[in-house]
Amino acid sequence: MPGRIVEIADDHRHLSLLRGFLVVESTGADRQEMGRVPLDDIAAVIANAHGLSYTNNILVACAERGIPFVLCAANHNAIGLLLTIEGNSLQAGRMQAQLSSSKPLQKQLWACLVRAKLAQQAWVLAETGKPTAPVTALISKVRSGDSGNIEAQGAQRYWPLLFGTSFRRDRTVEGINSLLNYGYTVLRAAMARAVVAAGLHPTLGLHHHNAGNAMCLVDDLMEPFRPLIDYCVWKLCQKSQEFITPETKQELVYVLYQDVASPQGRTPLMHAIQQLATSLAQVYVGERFELELPEPGVLDELLDDIN
Amino acid sequence: MFDLPVLTKPERKAATQFRLMLLDYGFEMSQFSVYMRYCYSSAQVETLCKRVEEALPDGGRVNILQFTDKQYERIISFHGAVRQPKNRNPSQFNLF
Repeated sequence: MPGRIVEIADDHRHLSLLRGFLVVESTGADRQEMGRVPLDDIAAVIANAHGLSYTNNILVACAERGIPFVLCAANHNAIGLLLTIEGNSLQAGRMQAQLSSSKPLQKQLWACLVRAKLAQQAWVLAETGKPTAPVTALISKVRSGDSGNIEAQGAQRYWPLLFGTSFRRDRTVEGINSLLNYGYTVLRAAMARAVVAAGLHPTLGLHHHNAGNAMCLVDDLMEPFRPLIDYCVWKLCQKSQEFITPETKQELVYVLYQDVASPQGRTPLMHAIQQLATSLAQVYVGERFELELPEPGVLDELLDDIN
Repeated sequence: MFDLPVLTKPERKAATQFRLMLLDYGFEMSQFSVYMRYCYSSAQVETLCKRVEEALPDGGRVNILQFTDKQYERIISFHGAVRQPKNRNPSQFNLF
């Protein structure tokens, strides 16, 4: 079962370690304990507020357990991520294999991810009652390494269909964009954890190779799952909840716990994310030939029960 | 819940070690000698049982009770004469 996402969104919080717990205290005049969470249950800590303080011990304890500690800048953009350097006992062999993987293999894998992303976008469009043909028509055109940059063409068709022609994806703008930022941040943290747990290096990407990006591989692998966040944001907008609130954040986080159809049966998205990262490591070392990706879309939801 | 011998100094030390082990694994004290932990799966319960078994001092008695989340929410607790708010199962998203 996947763990919990802990978010610190209020200023005046102090995080510390007490035996097996993350302890959250309020600071200032009324110093008191706000709650504690067993470290073994945490999937990621998202530090969103500005006035936070934490002890070195809690950061060490998170790293020991492979819990990503996400630092957010303005408008819910993840700016930094604290990850363990020892993720997996097979790490040395897998990183070697990752480093020496051939260019053609990387290109094939990237094409596979782009196809999965387009299929996912098509599912979202179908689910929101929009025409899917513009996006599905592109799937068969994706060649090795996506040399025709079909991914960008897909985005050009997908965004106006989903959010209307006046919508622009811009990280610095409020509203829909900040909801997307937040959803992607949570997704990215889960993917980063999965990549490190699979014994892979997050910086060595398949396609993304921005010199300043330490999370190239994470950004590659999360592409097929982004549309699920888009879909959640679309649903929030239908209920005219276009701003970041504790409720909308909760809805976005629950995307990770929704079931998807993976080759091994029904499983929460967070687990499918791990399966994808692990399967990539196995492809690198030659134990399998294909990535393990879930079917597009989420299965009928129990979400109404949860809320 | 547990009863551990605490008559001699080594026994008290072993009892403290056991209690700290429980905290390390994320058990929370409900009252003295009664600790609770929320588990997601029966596999997790088994793992924790094994760890408790390994750490149990000589002559100690431990009973591990399992109840469902519905039963957990139905627990009625008092502190003094004041009825405490109902237990809630932990959410998968914790906002502080």
